[in-house]
Amino acid sequence: MDNEFPVWARGLVKSFGKSEAVRGVNLTVPQGSIYGVLGPNGAGKTTTLRMLLGIIDPDKGERRLLGNSSPRDVSYRVGYLPEERGLYPQMKSREAIAFMGALRGLDWNEGRKRADAMLETAGLGHAAHKKIRTLSKGMSQLVQLLGSIVHQPELIVLDEPFSGLDPVNQENLEKLILTERARGATILFSTHVMGHAERMCDRLSIIARGQVHFEGTVDDARRMLPMRAHYVPSSNGDGVSELLPAGAELAGDGWRFAVPFGGAEDIVKKLISAGHGISGLSIERPGLHDAFVQIVSQANAGDVA
Amino acid sequence: MKQLLAQATVIARRDFMSIVGTPTFLIFLLAPLLMLVISTASGLGAASMADNSAAKSRIVVLAAGDDAKRIEAANKTLRLLYRGDGGPAALNIIAPASDPAIQARQLLHAESIETDAIMFGPLDRPTVSFGEDSQVSGQYLAALAERAMRSARNGSTQIEQLSKPEMVIIKTPAITVNTRQAAGVGAVFVIFLLTLLLAGQTVGMLAEEKSNKVIEILAAAVRLEAVFFGKLMGMFGVAIVFIAFWGVLMGVAVQFIPDEFSLSAYQPAVGLPIFLLLCSAYFAMAFMLLGAVFLGVGAQAATMREIQMMSLPITIFQVAMFGLSSAAAGNPGSKIARIAEWFPFSSPFAMAAHGATDPALWPHFIALIWQAIWVALTIIIAARLFRAGVLKSGGGFWAVFGFGRKASAI
Repeated sequence: MDNEFPVWARGLVKSFGKSEAVRGVNLTVPQGSIYGVLGPNGAGKTTTLRMLLGIIDPDKGERRLLGNSSPRDVSYRVGYLPEERGLYPQMKSREAIAFMGALRGLDWNEGRKRADAMLETAGLGHAAHKKIRTLSKGMSQLVQLLGSIVHQPELIVLDEPFSGLDPVNQENLEKLILTERARGATILFSTHVMGHAERMCDRLSIIARGQVHFEGTVDDARRMLPMRAHYVPSSNGDGVSELLPAGAELAGDGWRFAVPFGGAEDIVKKLISAGHGISGLSIERPGLHDAFVQIVSQANAGDVA
Repeated sequence: MKQLLAQATVIARRDFMSIVGTPTFLIFLLAPLLMLVISTASGLGAASMADNSAAKSRIVVLAAGDDAKRIEAANKTLRLLYRGDGGPAALNIIAPASDPAIQARQLLHAESIETDAIMFGPLDRPTVSFGEDSQVSGQYLAALAERAMRSARNGSTQIEQLSKPEMVIIKTPAITVNTRQAAGVGAVFVIFLLTLLLAGQTVGMLAEEKSNKVIEILAAAVRLEAVFFGKLMGMFGVAIVFIAFWGVLMGVAVQFIPDEFSLSAYQPAVGLPIFLLLCSAYFAMAFMLLGAVFLGVGAQAATMREIQMMSLPITIFQVAMFGLSSAAAGNPGSKIARIAEWFPFSSPFAMAAHGATDPALWPHFIALIWQAIWVALTIIIAARLFRAGVLKSGGGFWAVFGFGRKASAI
C-alpha cells in the first residue's frame, strides 16, 4: 500500500539534543499531486523533508521515498531544492545546472543541452555563461531550481521555494511547478506563505511544534472554520447586535460575524423581520491563512496546556 | 558500487576543474621551490644514514688460536693511531672453515652486513680481499698481519717485511645492502615529501561546500562516501598534475647530473621499473589514506580558523609516520620495520622501503590490499562522522561504526 505513494512516512521522530524537532509525523503524498507542508518557522518542516530525503535519519519511524526505504537509492529519481540555497559561485550557470544533473545520474553533455533550453525558457538565456557569483539572488535561486529538475525527476522536493523571490519570479516559479506537475512529477514543497499553497496545492499538511495537526485539501482546511459574513443594515444599527451570533464585531458601517454551521438564513430572516433591512450582505469562506492561524494557535495552546 | 563511483567521479571532476582552472593553482604549482629548504633537511638525514651504514660494515680476519689473539692485540694497538670516526670498520675475527677461500667469498657477498675487506690464510702469506672502494681496509688488514707476525717473533724489529700478503681487489657489485637501503630511504622521503605537500590540502576541501551550503545538495543527491571519495580523487588528480609538472622538470635536470652521482647505483631489490611502479602505487595509497584522515578531520571543523588550527597536528602526524617509516627503512626486517609495514598510515612508506631491500613481490600485493581496505574504512568512518556530527543525523558515537539504531543506510 505504502509503495503506491511517492512519499510515505509514519511516526517520524527526530530530536537534536534535548530539543524534539519532529514528534511523530505521518505523511502520504499521492502520485502526481502538488503537496504542501505548511507550518510556522521552527515547526519541523525542513527536518521532516531532510529525513524523507535521507539526509538525516529519523530517531524513530518509517519512511519510503518512491517505494524505497533507503531514500539515497532513488536519488536519481528525485529533485531537491534545499531551504539554504547553495551553488558554487565560480561555476557558470549552465555548468551548475549540468553538475547538479550529473550528481543525479544525468550525462554531463545532455545536462548542458537541457540547461541551455531551460535557461532560455526561464528567461535566463543571457546568463547561461555567467558565473553564479555575478547573478542576482533571485536569478541564482532560479538556476538552482532548474538544476534540481534538469534530470526530470519523478519527485520534486522544494523547501521554501518562494522565499527570497520577487513577485514576478514567484509567479514564474509557480508556473514552473505547474509545468512539472503536468509532466507527471509529484511535487512536495514546504512554505509558510499561504497564498502559494492555496493556489497550487492539491493536498497539504499543517505542521506545528513537530506534529501534523491537519491533513487534507485546501478546501478541507478552510471548511474547518465557519463562513464569515459582512452585513450592512439599511436602517440605523440599534439592536442589531442582539440578533447576530456571539462574537459579532462592528466593522465600519456594518457588522462582521461567523456564520453558524447551519447557515445564515435564520439570522437574515430575523434581521429583516426586526426591520433592519439589508443594505449589503456578503458571505465569504475563510482563507487558508485563517485556517492555518487557527490550527497553529490551537496547536500552540494545546502544547502550553 | 558502480553508482558510488559514478557519483564520486562527478564530484572529482568538479573539484579538479575548479582547482586547476584558477590562477591560484599556479602559486600552488610553484610552491615546491621551498623544496630547496627541505633538501637541506634531507641532507642531514643522509648524513645520519651514512653513519648508520658505517655501523653496518666490517672487516674480517679468518683466524683461530694464537693467530687470532695476535690479530686482536694488533688491532687494539693500531686502532689507537686513528682518532674519531676515521678508522676502518669494526674487526670481526672468525674461525676459518675447511675452505677459507669459499668462506671468504661468502662473507664478502653476504647481504645482511657489508664486508669491506677480508683476510685469510697463514699470516706470513695471507690473502687479503677487498672491494674497489675499500683499499684502506685492505691495507689495514695487511698491517694487522705484519704486526701480528712481529708480535709472534717477540717484537722483531728487523726491517724486512715479515708478512707478504696477496692483495686481491674484488669487483664488488655496485648494489650493496647499503645502496638498497639508500633507495628505500629515498623512496620513503620522496613519498613523504609529496604527501606532505599534497595530501594536507584535503583538510579544507569540504569548507567550500559548507560555506556555500552546497553540502546539502550533495548530501541529498549522493552518498557521503561518494562525496568524500570524489573529493579525494579530485585532489589526487591535482596531485598528479603537480607531480607530472615537476617530474618533467626533474627529468630534464637529471640529464645534467655527473656520472659519478648517477642514480643507477641505487638499484632496489625488486628492480627499478617495478620499484617505481610500487612507489607510485604506495604514493597513491599514502595520499588516499592520509588525505582521507585529513579530509575527515577538516570536515568536522566549523570555521576556517579551526581548519588552520588543524594544520599543526596534521603535519606532526605526517612527520611521525615519516619517522616511523624512516626507522623501518634503516632497519629492514627489524621489529620496528614490521610495525611500520603493518600500521596502516605508515604502511605505504615502509612498504616502499621494503621493496628496495627485499625482492619478493607478494608482500606488496597484500600490503596494497590492506591499505586499500583502510582507505575505504577511513572514508566510511569520516563520512559517518560528518553525517552524525555536522549534518546532525545523530545516533551517537557507536552508530558511526555501524552499531545501534543508526545502522541504517547512509
